[in-house]
Amino acid sequence: MDVKLQGINKSFGNVSILEDVNLLFPSRKFVTLLGPSGCGKTTLLRMIAGLEEVSAGTILFGGREVNKLAPRDRNIAMVFQSYALYPQMTVRRNLGYGLRVRKTPPAEIDDAVERVARILEIDHLLDRKPAQLSGGQRQRVALGRAMVRKPDIFLMDEPLSNLDAKLRVTMRGELRRFHLDLNATTVYVTHDQLEAMTMSDLIAVMHKGRVQQFGTPEDVYSRPANLFVAGFIGSPPMNFLDGAIDLGRFKVREAALPLPPLASGVAPGLDAVIGVRPQDLSLVDTAGSDALTGKVSLVELLGSEKLIEVQVSDRKRISVQVHAATQVALGEKVHVRFSAQSTHVFDKRTEQSLLAEAAIGEARQ
Amino acid sequence: MTGDAWWSATKKASLYLVLCIVTLTVCFPLIWALSTSLKPKSEIFATPPTLIPHSTTLENYEALLGGRQQYYQSGGASQAMGPTPAQFFTRWFVNSVIVTLGSTLISIVVSTLAAYSLTRFRYWGRSVIPYFSLLGYMMPSIIFVFPLFLMMVRLELTDNLLSLVFGYVCITLPFCMWLMWAFMRSIPIEIEEAALIDGASRYQVFAQVVLPTALPGIIAASIFSIIVSWNDYLFGRVFINSLDNLTLTVGVMLFFEGTHVDWGLLMAASVLMTVPMAILFMALQRHLVAGFGAGAVKG
Repeated sequence: MDVKLQGINKSFGNVSILEDVNLLFPSRKFVTLLGPSGCGKTTLLRMIAGLEEVSAGTILFGGREVNKLAPRDRNIAMVFQSYALYPQMTVRRNLGYGLRVRKTPPAEIDDAVERVARILEIDHLLDRKPAQLSGGQRQRVALGRAMVRKPDIFLMDEPLSNLDAKLRVTMRGELRRFHLDLNATTVYVTHDQLEAMTMSDLIAVMHKGRVQQFGTPEDVYSRPANLFVAGFIGSPPMNFLDGAIDLGRFKVREAALPLPPLASGVAPGLDAVIGVRPQDLSLVDTAGSDALTGKVSLVELLGSEKLIEVQVSDRKRISVQVHAATQVALGEKVHVRFSAQSTHVFDKRTEQSLLAEAAIGEARQ
Repeated sequence: MTGDAWWSATKKASLYLVLCIVTLTVCFPLIWALSTSLKPKSEIFATPPTLIPHSTTLENYEALLGGRQQYYQSGGASQAMGPTPAQFFTRWFVNSVIVTLGSTLISIVVSTLAAYSLTRFRYWGRSVIPYFSLLGYMMPSIIFVFPLFLMMVRLELTDNLLSLVFGYVCITLPFCMWLMWAFMRSIPIEIEEAALIDGASRYQVFAQVVLPTALPGIIAASIFSIIVSWNDYLFGRVFINSLDNLTLTVGVMLFFEGTHVDWGLLMAASVLMTVPMAILFMALQRHLVAGFGAGAVKG
């Protein structure tokens, strides 16, 4: 079932939490609401669940407006960050609660609970109470409680954030598998861009109550719509340099860095910001117009790679990711080369991507 | 035995010795009451006094528990000698049970619902109400007694067990509400939201999810209310006039009236008054600690 959000606004008193959110989550897709704390992503999820009222706008499930429907009439399931298991009930009763209140025959409840418990490998824990379970086991019970009812829409509010790093990686894969098995539309909230990138079919990047970009993981990574998305997605984060565009090149101090062909139509002299990911920069032996020169101020070994911080001016440092075998010493003078294909260009004033605008213009022609 | 082990054993032994002395000191009055209640009259004032009776008798308990029946058999209030306190003991016991359970039931129902409302719904003043209610509990009961008595006169409830039920509710409700409020605050709202999404109605969420989770708090508040109501003397003394409607605490004081005090009977009455509370306390003390603990840490 698809989920459509039309002109959604939410405010508490005078404080605006969400502004004009318009999104369409296609049926059976894994969609992630991604953003930093306080961006409104959890509020949006709670509005889809029916736990918060909509100040303005319409929420549609499969074309049917659900604004006024109680949570229990929406046929949704939700996994909470804190798992929210019923503490006085055993795992078996926790899993079956949703079916029990819907007056499902006991035999059917038992079958459904056993089936889900087997899938999640928690069948040996059915008679324990939540307090007797580990974090990972609780997480599975919470997931099981959501799966047992076969909902149309699956909502998850940072379900992995309370797990340790190793378990989180395992559960990422499992959640994705469950999504494919369940065949339901999944809306997943996280502030962890790695989770969003690895699990989602579509990502809505949110900031200050607004959707900044909605697209596939590849879209938001390779073609960020604005400075916020460019800086938020990717680890280590993108480098930004202020300068001006002149004759298809980016003037910053003595260098004239190359720009992608799409930027050729940009008005000359425009104040702009370019963004380049550390992986797309390289160290070269000789200085040139496509390179910036600076001194190495920090070297971090990441495993198979090294992250090198180069001081290119008094107040500006840029990060370069190179192979771990590259020998660089602290204080050494290096030249960092920029490549036109992997450079993103943004309008300094509007913070919007000039490449995205140029691509839209080209498509119109 | 090494020096350290010897030192550790000595420390442990001294600690247990101190604990034994404290326990005996606290329990001595109860032990003495039990001992006296089991002694025949001839042995109660014997010198030297004995803690363990030479011969035991249950005549005091029989007099208290069978007194009511004798009272009716001998013609009730019309008997020539006038009634004795022992003849009213079971009646007072039942009265105490009725007012204690009645006031506790009302206090718990109202305080639980009030606490739920205070922690779950948004309205003006909801954050200060619990503190004000606690302030009310800190006032001495004597301040409430006379205004309440005047109210009971107007309601024509004097010398009626209902007046005691309402009086005890006035005393226990503020603290019960504060305790339940502190407890309810510690119950995460997500479990209610999870139940709403699972398909439960508001009522089902409250009855099936919130109440069972709040059970330790409810038990703690109930024990508090039961102890206050069961042990009250002041309200019982002021609100009730007739022998038939007295509660145990006030009624037992009548054993002191007249020229002769029957200590055996009095002690048996004290033991019978204490035993239900002691059993209740022992059975539920685990929950009491959990309930007060939650209030203390998260309240």
